[in-house]
Amino acid sequence: MSDNVKILISSSTKNLSTVRKFVEESAEHSGLDQATINQIVLSVDEACTNIIKHAHKYNEANTIEIEVETENNQIKITFNYKSGNTFDPNDASNPDMTEYFKNFRVGGLGIPIMKKFMSKIIAQHKNPDINSLILIKSLDKPSSFPAGAKQFRGTIVFR
Amino acid sequence: MEEFSITKKSSGDIEILNLEGFLDAHTSVELEKELESLLASNKFKIIVNFKKLTYISSAGLGVFMAYIENTRDNKGDIKLCEMSEKIFNIFDMLGFPILFEIYNEENTAVEKFSNN
Repeated sequence: MSDNVKILISSSTKNLSTVRKFVEESAEHSGLDQATINQIVLSVDEACTNIIKHAHKYNEANTIEIEVETENNQIKITFNYKSGNTFDPNDASNPDMTEYFKNFRVGGLGIPIMKKFMSKIIAQHKNPDINSLILIKSLDKPSSFPAGAKQFRGTIVFR
Repeated sequence: MEEFSITKKSSGDIEILNLEGFLDAHTSVELEKELESLLASNKFKIIVNFKKLTYISSAGLGVFMAYIENTRDNKGDIKLCEMSEKIFNIFDMLGFPILFEIYNEENTAVEKFSNN
C-alpha cells in the first residue's frame, strides 16, 4: 500500500506553514507516531527554508514542488526545484556544538536537524535546471497503515 | 489564529516576552525586531515565555543565538521558560541548555535575575 500527494508553492518563507500542514496531514495517514511526524515536519521546514534562502535567494518567482509518498514502513518527501547549483547536505559536516556555543554562532543548524531526524537524504541533479532533494524516514517496524486509507491525489497550488 | 505574535510585560527592570503561535524562518523576523528594539532601549534583562508557542525551527533558535552575547556583555541575559516538551526537545537535542538557562516556571526565571 502506497500513496502520494503533491503541492506546488512559490519560493517564499510565508508558505512554510502551508508546507508543514501539508506534510503533517500526509504523514498522519502513514501510521507514524506523532513524535516522529513532528521530526519529519521540522526536517521538511529546514529543507524548504534552505532552498528558499540559498538556492532561490528569496526570489518568489521560483517554485518548489513537494511530493510526499507514504508506504507501510516509509515516508519519502521529494523537493523539486530549479537551481543551477547542486548542493548535497551529505557533504556538510556537523558543527562542533561546544565551539558553536562558545563562539555564539548563528545559523547552520538546519542540516544537522535533517540528518538527525531523517533516515536518508539524497540530492539529485536531474538536468541542468532541476534539482531534487529527497528526505526519507524508514521505520524499524511496519506501521499500522490503514488498509483502506485514501488520500487526496493531485496538485494543490499556493501562491 | 495569527501565525505568530508577541505580547510584552515588564517586571521591574526585566522585560518578559510571551510568544504565541509558530516561530519559523518567516515569523522569526518579528522576534528579531522586538529583541533589537529592547537592546536599543538598553533593556538587557529579558525573559522569553514559550507557553503558547506551538512550533520552532532552527530559524527561531538562531534569533536567541544572535542576541545572547550582547545581553550578557551588558550584565543581562535572555532566559527561556515554560517550553512544551516538543519545543524543549529541539533545544535540548542541539545542546542549547549549555548556553541558555531554561526554566519550567516564569517566576523562577524572574527570581534568578533578582538574585544576580
